[in-house]
Amino acid sequence: MATETKAEFKPKILVFACNWCSYAGADNAGVNRMQYPPDIRVIRTMCSGRVSPGHVIDAFRMGADGVLWSGCHFGDCHYIFGNYEAEKNYKKLEQMLKLMGVDHRRFRLEWVSAAEGNKWAALIKEFVEDIKAAGPSPHKQNGTKPVELPVI
Amino acid sequence: MMDAGRHPLIDVFTLSEVVGLAGRPGNYRATIRTAPRYVDIDLCTGCGQCSEVCPVAVPNEFDMGLGTRKAIYSPFPQAVPNAYTLDFESCLNDVILACERCRQACDIHAIKYDDAPKEVTVPVGSVIVATGTGVYTPYLKGDYGYGIYPNVMTGLEYERLLNASGPTNGRVIRPSDGKVPEKVAFIQCVGARCTLAGGEYCSRFCCLNSAKCALLTKDHEPDVEEVSIHYIDMRAFGKGYDEFYRRTQGEDWIHYVRGKPSKILEDPKTHDLMLYTEDQKTGKPGIHKAGMVVLASAGLPNRQMTEPLGKLLGIETDEYGFFEARQSNTQALEATRDGIYLCGCSRGPEDIPDSVAQASGAAALAAKYLADDRIPPVVEDIPQVDTSGEPRIGVFLCHCGINIAHVLDVDKLGEAAKGLPHVVHVQSDLFACSDQAQRVIQEKVAEHKLNRVIAAACTPRTHEPIFRETLRLIGLNPYLFEMVNIRDQCSWVHTNEPIEAQKRANDQIRMAVARAARLEPLEKKELKVNPSAVVIGGGLAGMRAATDLAVQGFPVTLLEKSDKLGGRARELNVTFPEEYDAETLFNEAYDRLQNSGAIIKTETEIEKVDGFVGDFTVHTTNGPIKAGAIILAVGSDIYNPVGEYKYGLTAGVITNMELESLLAKKDDEIEVNGNPVKTAAFIQCVGSRDVKTNPGCSRYCCITTIKQALAMRKRGINVIVYYRDMRTFSHHAEQAYREAREAGVMFVRYNDDDKPEILGDKTVTGIKAYTESIGEEVECDAEMVVLAVGLSPYKETYAKLKEILKVPTGPDGFFMERHPKLGPVETNTEGIFVCGCAQGPKDLTDSVSQASGAAGKAATLLAHETVLLDPTTCEVDSYLCRDCGTCIEICEFHAPGRTEVAPGIFAAAINEALCKGCGTCAAMCPTGAIKARHFTDDQIDSMMKAFLLGTNA
Repeated sequence: MATETKAEFKPKILVFACNWCSYAGADNAGVNRMQYPPDIRVIRTMCSGRVSPGHVIDAFRMGADGVLWSGCHFGDCHYIFGNYEAEKNYKKLEQMLKLMGVDHRRFRLEWVSAAEGNKWAALIKEFVEDIKAAGPSPHKQNGTKPVELPVI
Repeated sequence: MMDAGRHPLIDVFTLSEVVGLAGRPGNYRATIRTAPRYVDIDLCTGCGQCSEVCPVAVPNEFDMGLGTRKAIYSPFPQAVPNAYTLDFESCLNDVILACERCRQACDIHAIKYDDAPKEVTVPVGSVIVATGTGVYTPYLKGDYGYGIYPNVMTGLEYERLLNASGPTNGRVIRPSDGKVPEKVAFIQCVGARCTLAGGEYCSRFCCLNSAKCALLTKDHEPDVEEVSIHYIDMRAFGKGYDEFYRRTQGEDWIHYVRGKPSKILEDPKTHDLMLYTEDQKTGKPGIHKAGMVVLASAGLPNRQMTEPLGKLLGIETDEYGFFEARQSNTQALEATRDGIYLCGCSRGPEDIPDSVAQASGAAALAAKYLADDRIPPVVEDIPQVDTSGEPRIGVFLCHCGINIAHVLDVDKLGEAAKGLPHVVHVQSDLFACSDQAQRVIQEKVAEHKLNRVIAAACTPRTHEPIFRETLRLIGLNPYLFEMVNIRDQCSWVHTNEPIEAQKRANDQIRMAVARAARLEPLEKKELKVNPSAVVIGGGLAGMRAATDLAVQGFPVTLLEKSDKLGGRARELNVTFPEEYDAETLFNEAYDRLQNSGAIIKTETEIEKVDGFVGDFTVHTTNGPIKAGAIILAVGSDIYNPVGEYKYGLTAGVITNMELESLLAKKDDEIEVNGNPVKTAAFIQCVGSRDVKTNPGCSRYCCITTIKQALAMRKRGINVIVYYRDMRTFSHHAEQAYREAREAGVMFVRYNDDDKPEILGDKTVTGIKAYTESIGEEVECDAEMVVLAVGLSPYKETYAKLKEILKVPTGPDGFFMERHPKLGPVETNTEGIFVCGCAQGPKDLTDSVSQASGAAGKAATLLAHETVLLDPTTCEVDSYLCRDCGTCIEICEFHAPGRTEVAPGIFAAAINEALCKGCGTCAAMCPTGAIKARHFTDDQIDSMMKAFLLGTNA
């Protein structure tokens, strides 16, 4: 059962959303007044392919409790294969975060289309719950500057 | 829609109809009557407060009556214009009892109860009829219990159920009890291919629509156990459609059942449905149970609308109420009066890709009368604001009526923003997007010497262009603007958590301020456009594209590899459906081409293409040609069936193209080795719908077979057609199919894995095939076997052109369009267009219509003196680049290339004319040498810091 401190834990969750599908899907959730938890902060990029593993790692080092990376479904990408590249990068990221010891619940790559406001709302709800269950991230580095990756 | 709504040269008249057309082609005067909207379109911001307070709920037409709307409403969320409409019929407000709730709720005073109809007369050069089609309502005939049994619905209604923003929020539930059905059954051809009700023709869009809905059903409702599709023939004829069909066949919970149910009965207690079907294998009747039935309702024009409109415009309609084309093959987009053009479902049912291609085609044809009246570009001279100094940020907050303000404390957001670095001015407005507020922004920019502007309001996807334009007009670089979405992604979705929502809005504003300080002014790059075009391929499609461009006054060069024009059409005898002589058809097209002034170069091949959109140099065997646009119309090869069905080994086995030339000799008897042919057998899908050769449908062969079979019957020859699905989807094709059956042509269905076998060694003696309706193999005597061969890519030519033009081919080997629905004639390379069979197999009519479409798209480019390139592209720091080639490898648009930066040292360089600005290369670059402008690492980093570390350095 969740303890009282866990109930009060307000996670810091960063979301990267592509302009054409996921950000539009989030707008669609708004138009339909679909409610979801306010714990996320969104950065809009033109394509999910714009996000690099470095951005996500930096976010964890700055103290993010969770990072969601979202783009178009395969075949829907405005730039044809940008989301495929995002997936490739995500696979690399998974390895890197594993080495860093980051709980897999803390990061996700998801596809949400412009019409899937309901999916967006459900996804955010689920992700926020996952992060709350995972608790505050232990990966925040002291100081403002992210440090170098550990040498393996 | 938004593009059309926002285009400076497009005036949109909604709630309007044409009530008069006078004058002549090139100089018509159209009278338009606009019904009152009761809402001022210029004032309404689409905030929806009026709708919130409206007490009336009526069935929502957009949701097919499954949901409700208010009396004052916006039909659907993306509606253009973004203004509400008052349905006066259902409004409670009348003279005696005033309701006035909406008027009181409207802070901007946009509602006018005394609005009246308006009539205007506008001068127009040409008219395009794009009135679409209605849908057959099964209710009229009580088919399958529609309108009686609650769980029987039409395909369109089912689409609304599947829509996430539809009446059930994407849930597939039964109208009778709100439960998820265990089994869903789709019935095809309801009101289509039918002489009793609806239309005799094929509706083209329903087969794939049902397949799509079937597949989506399980996505939406994992509890659905089975989906069955009851069909006559699956007509998955479009590009990639057969692959999709195969995919749905591969799902073990989707069952395709051949044959339409005879009737449906309902269990009155459970409202479950019983479909009376026949097992095609045993011939025995059976009952198929389903919880929900979806009727794939046909497209049927609204005659009450089309016939009076046809009279008014002076154009003819056909027996169903569709508009008639001037000639079915090469003038399919022209109505029967000069200067009036047709596209989409106004001329017959179409699927989306064909409709969109035709729309571009109709626009190209309409431009013929407008070429002299092109509106010259407006030259503006706005002194630019100097933005080089320290960032001075202005934050403008929007209440959006109460949409934002009822959840967020906008003033407190402003207070918080005031304390952020570089912020020198903060103010809030009731509606920041209103004209008045936009003028205030312009004044404040000047007053406080702002060089960065932030709007915290709704979504940048709809409103960023408005703010950017406001800033551009006063000389502030529009890329120094940043938008924070505190409505769609904050107040609307965190309504019940105002404290946390306020925190989120605060953070997002802080992030925007951090980013704004790092924004750089960007200039749109201007490229000169050479107003001429090169069309590659001199078949009927290429000829049409060249003609349509040349009549608009653009210099066009038509390149043909062989020594004569006409391509495949030269091999034809007569065309379908009008039995038009192919020779005449070609001659007419050739005359039009010659009169258009296009330069024709035969025996010319391309060797190399340099340059980019607006400025290509096409190097040919006959010297270089400069062009702003290139149209690819190289056609396709015909499948060579050597080794199949004893073709080439046994006399009497010929292809349909060979039969076409036999039929051209009108007086000669058709014979094999001197013996007259008594019975001829056609085999369909030779080299089509076969994963080993050509995975897709070749579209032309079914109807060609019907045409040839009818010609053979006229000569007294017996005809048997062995087919898999009869795909007679084009105009008048279904009627011809029926005619062929009536004329005694026998149709025998064969299975994909059980092909007919040809008997006889030296000459054909017969044909043997498993016949399902009899349940055993049946042998028939035949002296001739005609193979309906498919269309396949020209392998070598395509490979060469792919390399030269940098246009990719798809999995089927044909050239890939930019987007099947949004850009069916464009390619990934800007300035290069594709049409005809080079894009995928199609018949003459569709090829030629698509060619007009490509010409239309090319003309939009060529009509401008310059093309403006979006500056949010990527650039390479050659000092950091290690020439690894990653960016070159991943870019779909071939924007990165190699350049020699110092003797012997190479680095990547990005061609801005090709870059689309996705920024993927910047993410993939291992050394960080690539900068994605407007979405730089520095900007993203600053936003993360502002949020996670709370620092706005």
